[in-house]
Order: sequence, then structure tokens, then C-alpha cells
Amino acid sequence: MLGDSSKAQEVFHTTLREAANRAAHGELPREPFWLFRDARWRCLEADKADLQPEPLALDEHDVAPQAAAQIEQLEPAQLAVWISGASDPQRTALALFFLDEFDYNEILDLAELKLSELSRFLAQGRRQFQAWLDAKHPHQGTV
Amino acid sequence: MRMLRLLRRQRSLLNCAPINHDRLADRSMRAAVSRADDSDEFVNQQSFDRAVAALVLLIPIPPETAEWFSEKDLAVGSKWTWKKMARNPAVLAISIAVVVIAGVSVFQVLSRLNDFPGSATARKLLTVAASTRPVMLDPVSTEAGTLSDLFFMKHGLEHYDVPTEFADFRTIGCRVFEDEESRRIAQIWLAEKRMQLFLFPAERNAKTGAVLPFPGWRYVHQEGWAGAVTERSGVCFMAALRGNEKDLAPYISGAKQ
Repeated sequence: MLGDSSKAQEVFHTTLREAANRAAHGELPREPFWLFRDARWRCLEADKADLQPEPLALDEHDVAPQAAAQIEQLEPAQLAVWISGASDPQRTALALFFLDEFDYNEILDLAELKLSELSRFLAQGRRQFQAWLDAKHPHQGTV
Repeated sequence: MRMLRLLRRQRSLLNCAPINHDRLADRSMRAAVSRADDSDEFVNQQSFDRAVAALVLLIPIPPETAEWFSEKDLAVGSKWTWKKMARNPAVLAISIAVVVIAGVSVFQVLSRLNDFPGSATARKLLTVAASTRPVMLDPVSTEAGTLSDLFFMKHGLEHYDVPTEFADFRTIGCRVFEDEESRRIAQIWLAEKRMQLFLFPAERNAKTGAVLPFPGWRYVHQEGWAGAVTERSGVCFMAALRGNEKDLAPYISGAKQ
């Protein structure tokens, strides 16, 4: 979400500290994903002051059969930076989806999106990421 | 139009298809995935997603943060307890419904246990007894046992005999009337505790026409009235009074059946 591990760590600890406080006062919400929702808002708050990505029309390519091989050449940090560079709510959608911890209904709930929106953000994200991959790590046969 | 909407929804679902097939909990998602499972586009998407998810797992987590995740889930499902389940509105509603149904069933079974051939008619006659006024009967002052001859001679009613237990009581009046099923009922009013006696045809087998007998005395209750019923020679006799079984018991020789 943030593309910066120190910021992410700060958000994580703030979220847990706040949760511990609420637990001490018996004020923990009954909703099961409140901690993730809280963390998400803290992430969005944390980089509010930073430079925001300009809404650019990124190139889009169809997801290619060799995409997996291209992705394997990446460093994890490169992926983190790419996802954190997306504007919200697409960033939230991509981050939650590729964490592979939630089903789509839970993501819709957490990110406060409709199915059509989540679908569009994911499909567009894949195509943009594929275009970026093609630019950074062109596969044999990729122009 | 509907088809188009369906296809669009299916497309949307496929774009959100889980990376791990264990998360295919949703029926519509399962259907969409099973339809698209063989398409090249979907296969590419899945292998793309799996590769990205594998890369996400490699994102280093600082050790001081990692120790928080030793072996525990952050989103632990709430513990299941009987108490909690009992408070669930759906469980509560079903429980109440089951209790009511069980109550009605028990009540009906208990009611049936006390039933005997002619009990329905006896209950109706208790209602008649409750609404009868002395002026509605022909004044007759005699011993109840002697009215059998009157019923036979005047109304042609055979075996409308008052049992010996009640034969010696003085009467105030009597009448013969027909109920809604055109059965002829003899009604006698006694001076004793304003008791009323009824004689009516015993219930018969609908196919064979044979009398459905029952031994001894049986009790019925209706609207604060109690009746003791017995059957002899195809005719039922009922002694009725306002009160309960205990008020009638002293008049009946022999134990209740």
C-alpha cells in the first residue's frame, strides 16, 4: 500500500497500539475485518502529504502467457513500488487481492467497492502491469 | 438485455477470481470459474495472479513486525458458544415455534387420550346445559327413573333409561329436542344441585352401523361444566353439573374408567 517499509511499519504499530487501547476499554468492534479497514485508512492518511501519482493514461497490454516468467525476474520491492504507485482505490484493490488472504466479497467490503469497480481495477491493473513488464523485461518475441 | 447483464457479471467475477481455488466459496464465482476454466485468457490471468502472489510473499517483513504474526491470526473468528447460539434471532424464533408446535401437539394428544365414542356430542350438550333455563323445559316433578316410560310412550324413544345411580332424584322438568344432526336428545333437570341429565343416541360405526361401546363412566369438561357419561343399549347417558369431576364422583358408583 505504501511502497515504503518504514512507513508501513509505523502504520502497523500505530494500528496495533490503537487496537490494544480499544481492547483495554472493551471497545473492539464486532466486525471481523475492522483491523484491516483501520490499517487501510491509516495507509491512505500516511501518504496524503506525499506527492500523489498523477492520473496518467498508462499503457495497457493483454496479459501474456509468458507473464509468469517475466514476473519471476522482478524484485519484490519493484512490485510493492508499482502497486503503491497506483491511485486509490485501485491501489487498495490490488494490494488486498494479491495478498491472497481475502475472497472477493471481503475485498468489496474492505475497500468499499462494487463488484464492477473491483473487476475493472483488477483487470486494468493486470493490463498496465503487463505493459510495464513488457517495457522493463521484454520477453523474447515481445516488441 | 438480461443475457448481456449476466455475461457482464460473469466477466466481472472472472476478473476477481481467487488466486487460490480454496477460496471458491461463492456459488456464482464457482460457476463463472468452471465455465472459463479452459479459456486461454483465464489461464493466463490465473498464472499471472499466482506469479504476483508468489512475489508478494517474498516482500520482506521487518523482524520486529514479523514477530507479531508468529502463529496467530489477526482476524480470529468469534468463539462459538451455546449461549451465543441461543441468542441468535433465527435460532430463538425456531425454538419458540418448535415449543409452540410441541405444546399444541401435546395438548391435542392429551385431549385425544380422554376421548371416547360420543365425547364430542357430550361436550356440545354441556354447552346446551350451560345455556338452558328452567322455563325451556316442561315442568315435571317426579323421580328421574320414571321418565323412561314417558320418553318411550310419548316420544317413542327406546332404552332412554336413567341409570339407577340417578333414578331416585326428583326432577324439575324435562324435554326432548333434536340436535343439529337430527338426533333426538332427552334432557332432564333435577332439583339436586341443579344437575341436568341427558340421554342421546350412542355413536355408531359409519360403515356397519354398529354401536361403538365404551365401558363404565367417562368424564367430559366444557365451559366450567363437567359431565359423567356412560353407554347402555345404544343410548348414552350424561349427568352434567357446573363444577368438576369431584362434584360428580360421589353420585357414580364404581371407579372412573
